[in-house]
Amino acid sequence: MRIELDRPRCEGHGLCEEAAPQLMHLDDDGELVIDVTDVDDAGLDAARAAVRVCPVAALRLAPA
Amino acid sequence: MTMRRIVVVGNGIAGLTACDSLRAAGFDGELTIVGAEPHHPYSRPALSKALLHGNENLQAHHLPAPTHEATELLGVSAIGLNTRSRTVRLDGGAELPYDGLVIASGSRAKRLGADRLQRSGQQDDPPRELTLRTIEDAIHLKERVASQPSVVVIGGGPLGMEVASGCLAVGCDVTLVSDTTPLSRQLGQHLAGIFTAAAVRRGLRIVGGGRARLAGHGDGTKVVLADGSELVADLVVTAIGDEPNVDWLAGAGLLTDGMLKVDSRGRVRPDIVAAGDVAFLPTPRGLARVPLWTSAIDQAKAAAIGLLRGNAALEVEFQPYFWTEGFGLSLKAVGWMPLAGTPDFCDPGANADSMLMCWGEEDGAGAAAAVNYRIPVPKLRRLAGAGPAVVRTAPPARV
Repeated sequence: MRIELDRPRCEGHGLCEEAAPQLMHLDDDGELVIDVTDVDDAGLDAARAAVRVCPVAALRLAPA
Repeated sequence: MTMRRIVVVGNGIAGLTACDSLRAAGFDGELTIVGAEPHHPYSRPALSKALLHGNENLQAHHLPAPTHEATELLGVSAIGLNTRSRTVRLDGGAELPYDGLVIASGSRAKRLGADRLQRSGQQDDPPRELTLRTIEDAIHLKERVASQPSVVVIGGGPLGMEVASGCLAVGCDVTLVSDTTPLSRQLGQHLAGIFTAAAVRRGLRIVGGGRARLAGHGDGTKVVLADGSELVADLVVTAIGDEPNVDWLAGAGLLTDGMLKVDSRGRVRPDIVAAGDVAFLPTPRGLARVPLWTSAIDQAKAAAIGLLRGNAALEVEFQPYFWTEGFGLSLKAVGWMPLAGTPDFCDPGANADSMLMCWGEEDGAGAAAAVNYRIPVPKLRRLAGAGPAVVRTAPPARV
């Protein structure tokens, strides 16, 4: 699966980073950086948790 | 016993997260989710924030479609529970059997006029107040304020302030009724003062005067306060808190003084757990509801595991995360609130109105708050957990 970010929606809460620090992080300016775009099975649970926790639904999981 | 059938009552973020967590933990039995609202889950915090402020973005609240493959009964209310036969009674008469039950039925807006409507049993009078809890409420409110009516908002909590800010932003004349400094009961005086000053600068009128009562007044509504003062507005929005949806549990024997209490693993009993706005849970500040987005998610994860694994489940432990925006300010805060006194540490940010603050609370639990200051939540949590000593700048060296 592939993590897609709708950047204009992102408000920089960073709850996704908390859920999946191995996949994404906020940089020093508070901008979200997706470190791993194509997620393998091992990372799928974390990716789903990150997508779910975003209160503005800025993240989506799409078929790779 | 083996859990083959689990029913989740409530299709908000807590119910959704419970379903996801049950599946992630390996539950592959029959899962049914019952939601009173006829929608897939959406982001409730966005309703009073992005949706009300946004110009055309009516998608702000949309969440990705669920992947838990539960049977979804949407637009259907649970109206009764029988814990002996293990069945949930649905509006319409159907009975849903369960081996395990997740109660995530949420809460609803309190209304000033509720007594009147319940007594008369009919709604022939136009409602004199709007509330904001559901997506329908938000769309209706957005439509009503578009013509720039005069607005009275009753209630000085985060929702009342967000609504007031949204109405001001579209050009309404807005009066907020609050007997204390708005937000002070939720955030403490320091942060409340920052928001209230910004609100007044942007034209918000704030009045006290005691308990409000509503009366008709032509096409608008008259607000009569306990001290006798009166306000007249085209539109009255009440934001006086929420009450848990536990009516359907009456007679089930699960409530204590009207409260649905859970233990540290989200359990009401071994076969029933609860999460989200409906549940009273043990917190460092005593038994309390914590009706916040991230709290609902954390509670639902714990409750799902508590249902499947019992005492082997981890206890829920979280540090609340809260955010609000309005009047040109955006707040992110971590920790148990309200916060007493002034911050122990304050770092001005890049802009005139941005700041990062920390409090070290006496009970050892720290808190951190960022106003117009972009900072990831994990970092904010570290600041809160570390307390002020770690971030306080070192005193100048003696020479």
